[in-house]
This record gives sequence, structure tokens and C-alpha cells, in this order.
Amino acid sequence: MSLLAQYALTGVVTGCFLILATIGFSLTRQVEGFLNIAHAEMLGVSAFITWGLNAVAGWPFIPAAAAAVVATALIGLGIGRLVYDPMRRLGPAVLLITSVGVAYVIAGVMHAIIGTGIRSLDVPLATTYKAFGLRITDYQMAVVALAALTGISLALFMNRTRTGLAIRAMSANPELAASRGIDVRQTSRATWLLSSGLAGLAGVMLALIATLSTDIAFNQILQILAVAILAGLGSLYSVIVAGLIVGIAMDVSVYFIPAGYRPLIAFLVVILALLVRPEGLSGKARS
Amino acid sequence: MQIFLTIVMFGSLFSVLTLSLNLQYARGGMINFGVVAYFAAGAYAYAIVTQQPPKGLDQYLFGLGAPWWAGFIAAGLAAMAFAFLTGRPTLRLRGEYLALTTFAFAEMLHSLLVNERRIGNGTVGLANVERPDPAGIGLSEGYAYAGAAFLLMLVTALAFRRLLASPYGRAIDAIRDDETAAEAIGKDIPRLRFQVFVISAIPIGFAGALYAMITTLVSPDLFTAEVTFFVWIALVLGGERTLHGAVAGTMALVGFQELIRAIPFESIRAAEIAAAAEDVLTGLLFILILRWQPFEVLAKRKQTA
Repeated sequence: MSLLAQYALTGVVTGCFLILATIGFSLTRQVEGFLNIAHAEMLGVSAFITWGLNAVAGWPFIPAAAAAVVATALIGLGIGRLVYDPMRRLGPAVLLITSVGVAYVIAGVMHAIIGTGIRSLDVPLATTYKAFGLRITDYQMAVVALAALTGISLALFMNRTRTGLAIRAMSANPELAASRGIDVRQTSRATWLLSSGLAGLAGVMLALIATLSTDIAFNQILQILAVAILAGLGSLYSVIVAGLIVGIAMDVSVYFIPAGYRPLIAFLVVILALLVRPEGLSGKARS
Repeated sequence: MQIFLTIVMFGSLFSVLTLSLNLQYARGGMINFGVVAYFAAGAYAYAIVTQQPPKGLDQYLFGLGAPWWAGFIAAGLAAMAFAFLTGRPTLRLRGEYLALTTFAFAEMLHSLLVNERRIGNGTVGLANVERPDPAGIGLSEGYAYAGAAFLLMLVTALAFRRLLASPYGRAIDAIRDDETAAEAIGKDIPRLRFQVFVISAIPIGFAGALYAMITTLVSPDLFTAEVTFFVWIALVLGGERTLHGAVAGTMALVGFQELIRAIPFESIRAAEIAAAAEDVLTGLLFILILRWQPFEVLAKRKQTA
């Protein structure tokens, strides 16, 4: 029983990471209107900038991570303006396929610079804490704390600031938002910065809790997609619920069936959910 | 000469996939991001049907030891069955939702093949897949299989062309152009879409069988999402909506990759960089073509002239 509880706890950590990884993806989907497959590659970019500054250049972890998040946000904005902006008139399907091309380019550049093999950050080993027979490491706690902090600050940002409200208006109804005097281009840029920055944050977490190799990013996109579909590509709050559901389902499943099936469980949850609610958890009817 | 043969062989083989995808996407308006699953279903069905019963360290359960043609037919049926299974619940989803669910199904099949050793030895895969010996008809292996792939492509292209030129094909086009109008004149849209989805999976299954014959190996590593992306890039490269465009795009992409692979490398690092450069170039080409759509523009100019 305590083993099951342990898996559930690990599932919460996985879920928190997935929330961080998916919020940016979902935001892009809402405001820019397409599924950005290259979003997962941004996690990899951030993870490896952190690694480069920390393990190669010898920076302490926190400034390296902060620099990586900022750099990733800027790279994301650059790609958004250079590649996606001029193509917006071609529709979401073409943009979705284009983002596969972008993912190829980013992955190729990372392979060329870093090469294959496993890397690790220059940080102290994780310390394990025990309570009620359950174990959790300090890095895992950091992931949960960061996810909670991000969730709260994002909610405040979206509800209290001008830019946040503009982003929400844009995602609800772009034409109406534009006609009410919201600067569409500026809002779009803010979204790119925000979503890529969130990908950067998730990437730093990934570097901290997972083994680093250049194909790390691709494995994430599958889970991000799973969470995003389950959440219904709509509301940010449903991303939180969906992230926790997928994370816990994946990790608890290990108790019953071989661990290799973890990714399969993620999609099984999604497909079951889609059969019941074709528009996802948030249930918003969107075309 | 060898490289030319390779290009024709794999170019034709993957053209079958591109042609089928073309039917699903450009005609049926369905974004299938799980093409590789139907390909893998075909390859595994062929291997399992023709494989000798398991012995020694083998962990797979079934090896029927049937002749190659039985395996080939089974491959088409397996892909069709998988399309039936996956199409039923998902085709009512639209656009990107469909893309995501088909992608999810492909990943689930992949995960199943990796983890369920009783299907095909898990990650090890099934090696030494049986295949007909072309010496019987007096051809070397390379030529025979390149010829077979080319033939399969030709048959697929002709069959699709016949299909699309028929009243049935016009009904499909009508749905793509204006769903409401098509429905108004009494076309059963979900049913037609489902049929197109299942029909176009059959050649993909055949191609899977042929792929298993050529490589004599089936393992989950051969059937990753990269195959799906490859076919999509080829389709976009060739310009949508035309059969010869789909073939030309695939040939060009296979040729491009084979040429890069043919460059000899001094060190592992150099090979690594070349592989990375191949990805970057493929991706860039893809973005540029989608951005400016040169083939679409050409096609339109031809129409007006």
C-alpha cells in the first residue's frame, strides 16, 4: 500500500512537471491558434543552455538556469516572428506541420553542437527526505513548488495585468479583441515570450530531475500532447487538472504493469477521455 | 548505380505511403499523424505470418511459417484492420484533434511492440524475415526488390487515380470543397471519410510487407514517428493534391538523404554533424516550402494559362 502511495506521490511530481511543460504549449494554441510541436524542443534548448553555462562554463546553477529561461524566451520570440508570423494566414494545419520542420531544425542544431551521449549538471546529488514512509527528493519538491508558484503567478498575471487580459481576450475572440483596440502584434509577441519562457522553466526542471541527452525533448512532446488534448487545448486551469491526472495515472500504472507502458498509459487516458468528451476536459466547443 | 537503385527502391516504397497520405489529406481532409502505425502493422503482420515457429531464445508466440504471398495479403489486411479500429472512434474528431489522436495511436502501437515481447521479440525485433528468392526469375536481389517497389507504387497510383476519377472520387472532392453542400445533396460524410481512411491504409500495409522483405528485419526502432514526419515532409515537398507531385517529392527527399549518407566520413564526430546537418536542412527546406508554396503557385499559374 505504501508503495502505491509512493508511486502516487512520484506521479504528483511528474504531473507538476507536465503542467509546467504544457502551459506554454496550451497558451500558444490559444493565442496563436495552432499546435506547436517544436514547443518540446524549446525545453531541450533551455536544458542544454543551463547545462552549458553550469557544467561547461562553471556558473552556479541558479544564474545559469535564469539565463537559460531568458534566452529560451527570446529564441522562442525570434522563431515566432521569423517563421510563424508570416504564415498565419495559411491556417492551423499548415502551421502545425511547419512546427515539425522547426523541431527538426532545432534538434539538428542541438545534435551538431552537443552531440550524442548523456550529460549531467554540476549540482549536488539530490537529498532524499522521508515522511510517513514516503520518499521525496529536494529537487522533486522544487518542481512541485515551482509549478505551484508558476500557476499562481500566471493566474494573477492573466487576471490582473493589461497584457494578461489582452492575451485572454485574444484567445477568446481574436477579431473582437482587435476591434476593441487590443494591439494584436504586441500581444502575440508577449505570448511568444511567455510561452517560450515557460518552456524554458520546464526545461530547467527537466535538466534537474531527468538524464540529459539531446533526444530528451522528443520524448516530452508525447506527454505534453497527451496533457494538452486531455485539457482540451483550452483553459489554463484544465491544464493543471489534466497534468496531474496524466502524471499520476502514468506513475501509478507502474504498480500494476511493466514500467515500459508508462507512455502508453498517458495516451490511453487521453483516448478514453476523447471518446467521452471529444472537446477535452474544458468542454469548450471550438473548431 | 547502387545508389540509384537504392533511391528507386526506397523512393517507390515511401511513395506508396505519400500517395495514401495524399488521398487522406488532400482529398479527404484528414490529417493522419500516425502513418507509421499502418506501415508497422503491415510489416509485423508479414513477418509474423511468414516467420517459422519460435525456438530457443525467441519470445514471440506466433510464427505461422506461411508462404510470402500469404504474408503479403495479411499485411494489407492488418493495416486495414488497424485503420478500421483507429478510424471508427477518431474520425468524428476534426483537424488537429484527429492529427493528435492518430499520433497517439501510433505511439501506443510502438509502445506495445516494444513492451509486449510475445508479438515480435520486443526491441530485438524479428530478424531473418522470410522473402521470395528473386533468383527464380533470374534477377539480382537489388533489381528485383526495386522493381517490386516500383510496381507497387504504380499499382497504387493507378488504383487511386481510377478511384478519384470515378463518381465516388467526385463525392470525396465535394466533401473537401464544401461539406455543407455535400451533405445537402445527401452524401453520408462520416461514412465516406471512414471508407477513404480504411481504403488508403491498405497500400501502406503492402508497403510495410515489402519493407520487411527488403530489410529482412522488423523492430520497433524502424517504425518511429520519424517515418510519419518523413512522409509528411515528402508530401509537402511535392506539392499537395497531385499524384505525381507526391511521388516526385518522396523521390527527391529519399535521393537527398541517400546522397548525404553516401559521403564518406573520417570520424564519428563528422558523421554526427552530417546527420545533424541533414535534419537541419530537411527542416529548413520544409519550412521554406510551406512558407512560399512554390508548387501551389506554379499549379495555379498553369490553370489560368
